[in-house]
Amino acid sequence: MKLFKREWTAEEADEWTSHDFWASLLGVLSFILVTVGIIGAFLLQLWGFAAVILALVLGGIMFLIIDPKLKAMSKGFEQKQADYLEKLEQSNRWEDTDGH
Amino acid sequence: MESEALAVQFTLLDWVWTFLLVLLMIFCGVIFYRLGKKSESDFFLAGRGLPWWLPATSVYATHTATDTPMWITGTIYMWGARGVWYPFFAAWTAVSAFVSTRIFRRSLAMSQAEWQNLRYSGLGSELLRGWLAGWQTFMNMFILAWVSAAMGKICFYLFQWPEWMGLVLFTSICAIYVLAAGYWGVIMADFQQGVISFVVITLVSVWGIYAAGGPSGIVEKLEGMDQLWRLNPFHFDGFWGLDGSSFYAMDFITLLVMSTLGGIGMGNFIDWYPEAQRIQSAKSVRDASYSMWAGGFISLARNSVWVVAILGFFVLYPGITAEAEYEMGWFRLGFEYLPAGLVGVFFAGIIAIHLSTVSSHLNLGALYATRDLYHHYINPEASQKKLVYAGRISTVLILAGAFLLGLTMQSITSWLIFALWLQAAGIWIPSILQVIWWRFNSWAYLSSWIANLIMSWLVVWVLPELGILPELANWANFWLLAVLVSLVYIPVTFLTKPDEMDHLVKYYVMARPLGFWKPVRDEAVRRGLM
Repeated sequence: MKLFKREWTAEEADEWTSHDFWASLLGVLSFILVTVGIIGAFLLQLWGFAAVILALVLGGIMFLIIDPKLKAMSKGFEQKQADYLEKLEQSNRWEDTDGH
Repeated sequence: MESEALAVQFTLLDWVWTFLLVLLMIFCGVIFYRLGKKSESDFFLAGRGLPWWLPATSVYATHTATDTPMWITGTIYMWGARGVWYPFFAAWTAVSAFVSTRIFRRSLAMSQAEWQNLRYSGLGSELLRGWLAGWQTFMNMFILAWVSAAMGKICFYLFQWPEWMGLVLFTSICAIYVLAAGYWGVIMADFQQGVISFVVITLVSVWGIYAAGGPSGIVEKLEGMDQLWRLNPFHFDGFWGLDGSSFYAMDFITLLVMSTLGGIGMGNFIDWYPEAQRIQSAKSVRDASYSMWAGGFISLARNSVWVVAILGFFVLYPGITAEAEYEMGWFRLGFEYLPAGLVGVFFAGIIAIHLSTVSSHLNLGALYATRDLYHHYINPEASQKKLVYAGRISTVLILAGAFLLGLTMQSITSWLIFALWLQAAGIWIPSILQVIWWRFNSWAYLSSWIANLIMSWLVVWVLPELGILPELANWANFWLLAVLVSLVYIPVTFLTKPDEMDHLVKYYVMARPLGFWKPVRDEAVRRGLM
């Protein structure tokens, strides 16, 4: 499976794949870099600015990896959402969700 | 009141800024009155239709409370730049954005307590929902109390108002638009409050840094004080140790592991509960994911801006030993160094910070009281009109309770370190297990909660006080609690039956959780549901 898979069906996007792992990992690295980088940048240290730029680049790569998958998944789920919401309201009112 | 008071001179221009910005905040909330009163879903989730940037600014605004600069100032003044890893727990949103956020958004549960009902079955599930609903109603009242107490402290510091006055006045102003427009008011006011607070935080911090001599001046002064280590976020007092007054590499590793892996679970941190509301208010799974990621990113960026400003405060005022005094450091930078006119903007920024947190927790506490207690247990057939009315009554009751609690609180930093970290230790692993492992059941989760509540108080406060257990480093407290509580919930898991397969299959098909769900998935495939 390509790391940068661009075309997803809703069914494919529903499954957990390596894209989710990479997006999470890049997200965490980006958070660490922005935390340290802004301290450095506000102290006018060159490494601080470099870390902030790297944090933004990693965030961008994360977006490229995960966005096509999220779009396909969201589209597929929204088609079923109305039906799910109706069942949720029934269960909150203690009604049988099978309609009996 | 332990901290020293300072009479700040407000000019007419300062009061004009304060008045105009507060008016803008209330107006932004109240104009959505018509949208908020339509239904329970509108009053608590803005109709589940928000684009990602609205909940994202709300995530940021909610987690920038009046007590936040106090406890971050407290940790940075104590530990130097390495103290930035304490508030780094917000990084759980980086993993959550692509794991637990997705699962929770797909469940469509209005609250975390309702999710317990969808994930688990039977009596245990109902007990868990009731327990979490009651706990969250109280917890939101408690959070309101401590942020309102912080506001009382600031107003005493500025104007020598009696503490109760600052505590009651601004929280009551906020209640106007929360009562009128519900979550619509919260989210729209949060957006402009988030922008105002970010601008003000940056402005005051930069001003403080230059008051301390600028970036190079701070470095030189720290060098002169032989305190250069304070600039290094990775300066540790050794790899590990048990001394509660030291900061070890194990503290950093524990905080990193806790915050990142915690993003897989639901309910690991008290922050999860307001975020869960924001997740469900987003218009799609994609919007929910990005709102969490962006909200966390901005919050961490803000923390780091504060760090440098507090280092500036340290070189200006070294050697303060009273926690209640040094945790006011960032506020002192603003009020002592900003020129006339900007002081009013700063105060309006503090009010924005305060209102955004108060509004969120008022509405969230009312959500648990209304959806999970009133609607689910007391009046399941209630009309939408009645539910919105119940939401408003709950809001008033939570507000009154918060005022009473707020008057009993003193130091902010100790309370927050306890609540944000140690109290979460015992349920940290169970909160992950309930997401990733089908066999983990409601009794196990319920038992972990009860065991954690008892053991966290024993390990952190009672046993050290009695001299039975030494006062441990924070990382050691965390792992000790994690192990002790696991001695309860692991046996409970295997000694009780798994949840009903019918229930688990329904949940799995809808939410598609990650992890060890093979028997449930196989059953769903066998039934032709996937």
